[in-house]
Amino acid sequence: MGWRLALRPYLLIVPALLLTCGILYPFGLGLYYTLFDFSASKPQPDMVRFENYATVFTQEAFWNSAWVTVLYAVGAAAVETVLGVAVALLLHRSSLVGRILEKILILPLMIAPVIAAIMWKLMLQPSVGVVNHLLKPFGLGGVQWTDTPTGALLSSIAVDVWVYTPFVAILALAGLRSLPTSPFEAAAVDGAGWWYTFRRLTLPMLWPYVLVAVIFRFMDSLKVFDIIYALTEGGPGDSTVVLQIRAYLEAIRFQRYSFGISYTIVLWAVVYLAAMVLVRHLGRIQRRAAEVVK
Amino acid sequence: MRVRKRLSGLLADAALILYFVFALFPIAWMVILSLKPTNQLFSTYFSFSPTLDGYRAVLGGSEGVPFVRFFVNSLVVSVGAVALSLAVGLPAAYASARWRFKGSDNLMFTLLSFRFAPELTVIIPLFVLYQKLGLFDTYVGMVWVLQLVTLPLIVWIMRSYFADLTPELEQAALLDGYSRKQAFFKVALPLVRPGIAAVSLLAFIFAWNNFVFPLILTSNEAQTVTVGALSFLGGDRPKYNLTAAAALVSVVPPLLLALTIQRYLVRGLSFGAVKS
Amino acid sequence: MSVALRGVRKAYGRNVALDGLELEVREGEFFCLLGPSGAGKTTTLKTVAGLERPDAGTVEIDGRDMSGVEPYDRGVAMCFESYALYPHRSAYDNLASPLRSPRHRLPAAEARERVGAIAELLGISALLDRPVGALSNGQRQRVALGRVLVRPASAFLLDEPLSHLDAKLRQQMRAELKAIGAARRTTTLYVTHDAVEALALGDRIGVIRDGRIVQTGTREEIWYRPHDTEVARAFGRPRINLLPGTVAPGGVFRTADGQVEVPLPAPVRENTEVLIGVRPRDLALDGRGHELTGTVYVTEVLGRAVEVTVRLGESHVSLVAPRAAAAGLRPDDPVRLTLRPENLLLFEADRPERPGRRIGKSAR
Repeated sequence: MGWRLALRPYLLIVPALLLTCGILYPFGLGLYYTLFDFSASKPQPDMVRFENYATVFTQEAFWNSAWVTVLYAVGAAAVETVLGVAVALLLHRSSLVGRILEKILILPLMIAPVIAAIMWKLMLQPSVGVVNHLLKPFGLGGVQWTDTPTGALLSSIAVDVWVYTPFVAILALAGLRSLPTSPFEAAAVDGAGWWYTFRRLTLPMLWPYVLVAVIFRFMDSLKVFDIIYALTEGGPGDSTVVLQIRAYLEAIRFQRYSFGISYTIVLWAVVYLAAMVLVRHLGRIQRRAAEVVK
Repeated sequence: MRVRKRLSGLLADAALILYFVFALFPIAWMVILSLKPTNQLFSTYFSFSPTLDGYRAVLGGSEGVPFVRFFVNSLVVSVGAVALSLAVGLPAAYASARWRFKGSDNLMFTLLSFRFAPELTVIIPLFVLYQKLGLFDTYVGMVWVLQLVTLPLIVWIMRSYFADLTPELEQAALLDGYSRKQAFFKVALPLVRPGIAAVSLLAFIFAWNNFVFPLILTSNEAQTVTVGALSFLGGDRPKYNLTAAAALVSVVPPLLLALTIQRYLVRGLSFGAVKS
Repeated sequence: MSVALRGVRKAYGRNVALDGLELEVREGEFFCLLGPSGAGKTTTLKTVAGLERPDAGTVEIDGRDMSGVEPYDRGVAMCFESYALYPHRSAYDNLASPLRSPRHRLPAAEARERVGAIAELLGISALLDRPVGALSNGQRQRVALGRVLVRPASAFLLDEPLSHLDAKLRQQMRAELKAIGAARRTTTLYVTHDAVEALALGDRIGVIRDGRIVQTGTREEIWYRPHDTEVARAFGRPRINLLPGTVAPGGVFRTADGQVEVPLPAPVRENTEVLIGVRPRDLALDGRGHELTGTVYVTEVLGRAVEVTVRLGESHVSLVAPRAAAAGLRPDDPVRLTLRPENLLLFEADRPERPGRRIGKSAR
């Protein structure tokens, strides 16, 4: 009778395991396809082993995409972090204004990134958009936001920032609220100024929470697709073709399936690597922060 | 000293309001744009005579875009995905919280790693596979692939909710004479009900907001509202006011749900983050 | 129905909770298991209930091996230290829960009668409709106890049910428990860390330490024939007096400084390191017996009696005397004590790995 009891937890996870295997199968299949030259024009592909990957790494388009992706991820994560922490600090002061606004902090995050990109696309549109109209008195109207390479990249980052800053802010706010009050009270009694308190106390203690948010945002932005697709479709030219857009173009537009998947595998490796590096970094920062508090 | 504090307080409030203007302005602008009649689209910015024609056009299927069908598709597919994830994920979360065994750790790790893989890695093979299996452009195909988004979320969060329950309550039920299955349904499940509600709504929002899966794996029948919103932008005469109306309509369910579960969102957002 | 644990071993990772536990509770007996926190008391109860499976050894209920028998088939009822009441239900639902389970499946009318009777017995009839969260600590404890009493059980397992109550309530509940125990005659295994409670309630008492049973016995056996110094120290307030010394030639106990000399009632090998134990109530300021002289160190009034601490050379002993006898005693007053050698307990010296065992004939 005992063996039946031991079996029970396994029975409970069997459906989840089956589902997970069902999802893992296409992953494995994709990996398998990259070893061939499978495309719509070649439904009976030959095995080409690692040729696809070699082509990826020697293509200028790849390095261009990689560069754009990194720029995008770093830019978006950096701005979101600074802005998110700032908003969290402002909300933490708990004024009447803050408490009302906190209730609607989450809204941009709940809007589908693709819809947000559409919204911004309409706002930045030269003929109908409102942004240029509002900037005219400042002499900045007339900028073609999505028609220049720099402008397109900046606009995309702006959409990412708009959607995901609340993510950082909410995590940072939760972190701020969970910090112990006694170090701050001691500092106030000692007459420490705001900047000093922030640099020596708040920031080190808050850093672990913020870094978690940053890591997640950085890794998600490396995989960006929705925003770029809706806003610029990779244009103008190739200036905003991030890695996952490139994969889409190769696989779905040009129907070179194997080649497209190879791009995604490389991207996956990049994200995984970034995770490893950043998590190790996180461990070090957390240990340093713990020492500071002591 | 007091004056300085008052001043810095006002500045802080002003900065906060500035951020929220930035955050809410696009939505406000969409409302304005969606109410603009087509003939006034390019002539004025803020002064216009508002009309509901845009919404009537979108919901009435103008331009040959069956927007209402897209909306229903989003609903069906999101609810279906969450339902399947609950049915499969709740037992797994419970088992993983109550018993420690090798399979559960591996399962957790695999589910977490789903979050880090690029979606296209799985979509491109599925694009090929679905056409062979006849799942392309179907509800079943979409519900299945959305598990990639909803299942990890539900399992991770419900696991922590179940782990928070002291096992003694279920033990008391066992000694009262209930079987383990009955103890789960009568004691454990009711106590995590708020957690289930919150995580279901959050998972629904993520499923609803998904773009890349329906973009590639659906065409006319099962297309969702996130893809459909782009339909009015094509061609030489993009209909900006219709696009704005479509965008707003598609954003209503997630926003309403978000306002409902606002309090529980911190736990959902940090899922996996702090633990890993 | 009798309950027995034979050679039960249970470990959680590297932490060994039960280490070859041997325990027998006879049918109808009210057995108190006494031990400090971490001794393995709760684990013992959960193993009997079937909520934990032993790594080795067997659990028997009424002589039948319970390996592989699920908790809901064992017919035991347990009152958890944390009460474990269903928070989303009313007091009535908590009490009725066992009666509604598939094991008992009582029709609603009969269940209502039973619950009413138990609620009456425990004085919580007025609280039945209240949600559990609206009850005070003491009321919740009574609902937890009621949930145990409401159904027929082969054994009751009570895990420190009174430990979270305030002193007055605890005394009241102790008396009620004793009354219920006397009336019900259900085999009961009662776990506590309070020696006074164990002595008051138990037909037999077991002392548990580090996952093993040190001694089981009746009140008298535990009191007059403790297994070792730790068991002797656990019972009795003020604590038993333990004096280290050696056995001098002639069967006389002598402390290191030679100030205390007591003839030993039974022959013991000479030159062994020993401890003698004297309970405070076995020392008197008057009366007959072996005399010891010393000076008063301090006195403390305990109501109608007084605790007097006396300096005997380098050692201190406490005794409890009636107030009249101790009246007028001031610190540094010379004082004369008498003790009867037959009340002496003799122990081996305490060792670092275990306390000193009692020397003398014992029935375990």
